Amino acid sequence: MKKLPKTINLTLKVWRQQQSEKKGHFENIATQNIAVHMSFIEMLDSVNEQLTLEGKDPIAFDNDCREGICGTCGAVVDGRAHGPQKATTLCQLHMRQFSDGDTIVVEPFRARAFKVVKDLVVDRSSLDKIMAAGGYISANTGGAPDGNAIPIAQEIAEKAMDAAACIGCGACVAACPSASAMLFVSGKVSQLALLPQGRPEAARRALNMVKTMDTCGFGNCSNHRECENACPKELSIINIARLNREYLKASFFSDAT
Amino acid sequence: MQFDAHIPAGPLTDKWDLHRFELKLVSPANKRKFEIIVVGTGLAGASASASLAELGYYVKTFCIQDSPRRAHSIAAQGGINAAKNYTNEGDSIWRLFYDTIKGGDYRSREANVYRLAQLSNNIIDQCVAQGVPFARDYGGLLANRSFGGSQVSRTFYARGQTGQQLLLGAYSALMRQVGAGMVTLMPRREMMDLVLINGQARGIVTRNLINGELESHAADAVVLCTGGYGNVYYLSTNAESSNVGAGFRAYRQGAMFANPCFTQIHPTCIPHTGDHQSKLTLMSESLRNDGRVWVPHNSGDIRDPQDIPEEDRDYYLEQKYPSFGNLVPRDVASRAAKAQCDSGKGVGLTRCAVYLDFADAIRRDGRETIAKKYGNLFDMYELISDDSPYEKPMMIYPASHYTMGGLWVDYNLMSTIPGLFVLGEANFSDHGANRLGASALMQGLADGYFIVPYTIGGYFAGTTLSPASSDHAAFKDSTLAARERINRLKSINGKRTVDNFARELGRVMWDYCGMSRDEQGLARALTLIQELRAEFWENVLVPGLDKDYNKSLEKAGRLADSLDFAEIMIYDALNRSESCGGHFRQESQTEEGEAKRDDENFSHVSIWEFTGSDQEPKMHKEPLEFENVELSQRSYK
Amino acid sequence: MSWLIQIFSSSVGKKLLMAVTGLCFIGFLAAHLAGNLSLYAGGAAFNAYAEKLHSLGPILVVFELGLLALALIHVITGITLFVQNYKARSVPYEKDKAAGGRTLSSLTMPYTGFIILGFIVFHLINFSFVDKSDRTIFEIVRAAFVNPIYMIIYLVVMIIVALHVRHGFWSAFQTLGVNHPKYMPALMVLSVIVGLIIGLGFGLLPIYLWTIG
Repeated sequence: MKKLPKTINLTLKVWRQQQSEKKGHFENIATQNIAVHMSFIEMLDSVNEQLTLEGKDPIAFDNDCREGICGTCGAVVDGRAHGPQKATTLCQLHMRQFSDGDTIVVEPFRARAFKVVKDLVVDRSSLDKIMAAGGYISANTGGAPDGNAIPIAQEIAEKAMDAAACIGCGACVAACPSASAMLFVSGKVSQLALLPQGRPEAARRALNMVKTMDTCGFGNCSNHRECENACPKELSIINIARLNREYLKASFFSDAT
Repeated sequence: MQFDAHIPAGPLTDKWDLHRFELKLVSPANKRKFEIIVVGTGLAGASASASLAELGYYVKTFCIQDSPRRAHSIAAQGGINAAKNYTNEGDSIWRLFYDTIKGGDYRSREANVYRLAQLSNNIIDQCVAQGVPFARDYGGLLANRSFGGSQVSRTFYARGQTGQQLLLGAYSALMRQVGAGMVTLMPRREMMDLVLINGQARGIVTRNLINGELESHAADAVVLCTGGYGNVYYLSTNAESSNVGAGFRAYRQGAMFANPCFTQIHPTCIPHTGDHQSKLTLMSESLRNDGRVWVPHNSGDIRDPQDIPEEDRDYYLEQKYPSFGNLVPRDVASRAAKAQCDSGKGVGLTRCAVYLDFADAIRRDGRETIAKKYGNLFDMYELISDDSPYEKPMMIYPASHYTMGGLWVDYNLMSTIPGLFVLGEANFSDHGANRLGASALMQGLADGYFIVPYTIGGYFAGTTLSPASSDHAAFKDSTLAARERINRLKSINGKRTVDNFARELGRVMWDYCGMSRDEQGLARALTLIQELRAEFWENVLVPGLDKDYNKSLEKAGRLADSLDFAEIMIYDALNRSESCGGHFRQESQTEEGEAKRDDENFSHVSIWEFTGSDQEPKMHKEPLEFENVELSQRSYK
Repeated sequence: MSWLIQIFSSSVGKKLLMAVTGLCFIGFLAAHLAGNLSLYAGGAAFNAYAEKLHSLGPILVVFELGLLALALIHVITGITLFVQNYKARSVPYEKDKAAGGRTLSSLTMPYTGFIILGFIVFHLINFSFVDKSDRTIFEIVRAAFVNPIYMIIYLVVMIIVALHVRHGFWSAFQTLGVNHPKYMPALMVLSVIVGLIIGLGFGLLPIYLWTIG
């Protein structure tokens, strides 16, 4: 078993910004006795309790499920979206990843399409907008045929599941040097393009989701592959290739607009 | 007060069909004249919003998170039940109905549960049509697995993320309606109050969590899909923002609360490690298929588990329940673990855990086989605890997981307030005193996709609604009350943080109203809660501004509700002096120490009515009648 | 036509333009390199190759105009992407670490692109729009590489071209939707090889000329 000190002392260099419109700055906060089996979010909780008792404004940050599935939490920690550990969200990152005396830089996800709300909280509603533009299959409640009516090859179902694992956290955007949302969009487009149920709308979906993505102010994919490396669910850029394919097919060979 | 559940007449199997025929309809042209508020976007809220909008109603959907996709339904792992009988094992709607009502320890309504079983099949079809990537076999057909409390494989799943995939399916249907302009989405809103006009639910007052503004929203009906109250225990598998607030504020406006003491404790969670801990992570129940549960024979044995020889280990589940062994139901396994820890044999940092050991399974099947089955769970465990379950036994402990109690609703899912519908975990309807695995997803979606779209039409068609706008005085009163409460919380400026109070309330509830309860403890809890509440209103410290993103203020408001609500749970637990399902009263056990039901005196739903602040709530009963199943005592020896 | 404008003004459409024009340039570089290899056979062979090329007459002009069009598309689209991507991350990170995807060549694409553009102009002035009335092209080339500064500039730019091609090659396939676990790993390796061939192929020529004096 690894021998670790039970607690460590850290300095947080954290982004503070009162509101979207106001200017932000970095603030250094010294923290003592951080238990190493705390999650990063729990560490922030304890810092906030300390700040509260000192009469200061606690650090604002989003989080919810605290088990890596809801996609609410997220910050850039020491230059990496969701921190230095692979395939984890911020709430799954534990303090044993850090050493006594470290200074940790904590910044919000940065993108023109993600406005800072306060401190580490950003507005990711543009991702919802993209979904509303076509991230669905138009199947009204009630008219569905039996679930087994259309067999789907296991490999296809598995690939669709790989693409569907996206939690919508926005780390791909945060990590992309161009703040592109292609991995996010490609997850949904891929999932639904792979399944026979999603084919009828595939062309419309690809065109409309890409169009909305562009109007939201995300950057253009430059194939840096930072997204798939930062993704807590390890979505592959194979999905982006599939989106490109779907988009080209839709553009040149379909009647959809 | 008459508690008419409006259960339709006729044979059990035909009730829902007959009822749908009898329900009055709203014509398509008239539907667009009605506006419906849906609060919450989990499985129930998202599916209801989408389905209602598809019908042509104008829907306004609220969620507390920044996006509807984040609701905590997303964290459900295992699967969703349906009576498809694809596996040819003899499953049927009737069997699913029977298993569910028995699993609930006979404390739910036959008609509701039967309808749930009927609708289970439609749910699977609907989800497949939406593109939910369920697991499939090589032939391309849907795969099933088995789950606790049933002898057939009827659970549909999408890896270990079934809840996520079902929620994203419902979310996509919702977003389609948002795109079509039929649903207006209001994220980052907390419901502060329910607004009644002429005794009907006609709107809500919300707080915008970004800028703190209080907003009034009027509608013709309100649908609450706000989940359970498991966070009363502070440490639970629930998400940070899961809270009882919306339900409790409806309760204060006259909606009655049913069976609040029915809570489910899940036996296999990663134990807590100290005061900093904010949540307990669930480890799938399937681990008990291969893991052996044990504690050291001698209390205070602090040797590393590998160094404790066989003769010094107590495999207490295998000893006590030779036929079911480590696979006893959730409530039994949870109580047994607590008993061991209470007797001082607990392990780990806080001595509040038991071992779940895979050494024998690894020796028997090989590391690879075990990794294939549980690899992702083992990784998840290692991520949190920094110990590898391949090398060292896992440590587990029970945690609050689901709440069966909720706002009382009739067969139409309408509460005691006309026009207030309650769906999913937020209502009390289908799981009785204990919920079976893979049934929560089923209920949320059945309520949202297939029940409320019909019953809300029946309500509109049979009711006269006066015109109401958000300028009505009732909205002003609610806004004023909410503003006053916020000001009061802000002005206390005491010395203890909100989390500090929340932890203490959680500890009281866990100790006295958790896995096992007795009269003395419950009475003590009542005093402790009242004292804590008094201190809260004098000594809480809420930093920051009101008109701003302020998590502390949000949490303070929710905790204030929990402090009031906890009392109702205690009253209910005190009143129900039988043991049933997740509710174990020390006074009511068999000679072997198992839960003993008292059907003669407690075969009813306990319904609590708000009578005023700081006043004991008033209890009513809805008797439960069983015409189709025979009540039996559970045994797992 | 509006549908074409719609496609090529979208992010995916713009990347498509970059991919197709980029692949054309790699094809051009391959042909150019093949021709230049005649240098190894001596001045006469190289001059003969040049003469043959120019004897194509109008075909060559069409070809050159085509290259110019490709260059315009590649450069204008590239600048648009560069500006848009710069704006999309309006506030940079205080601390920015690679997650394991980006490479030196992927990060420097716009910059290497600009340098290559400048070099092409420089290259054309030196070897294309030069007075060839009293010297053969071989003599011109040889004279140019006698200058050590020219030689160094040329070699550095060839390294830069290799970097640009190394990311551009596989990237173009990815943009065209050609990515499968079966062959993507091979394409990634091929991308390095193509970059090396172009860099070394062009880079070794002046060194060869220099060694033969």
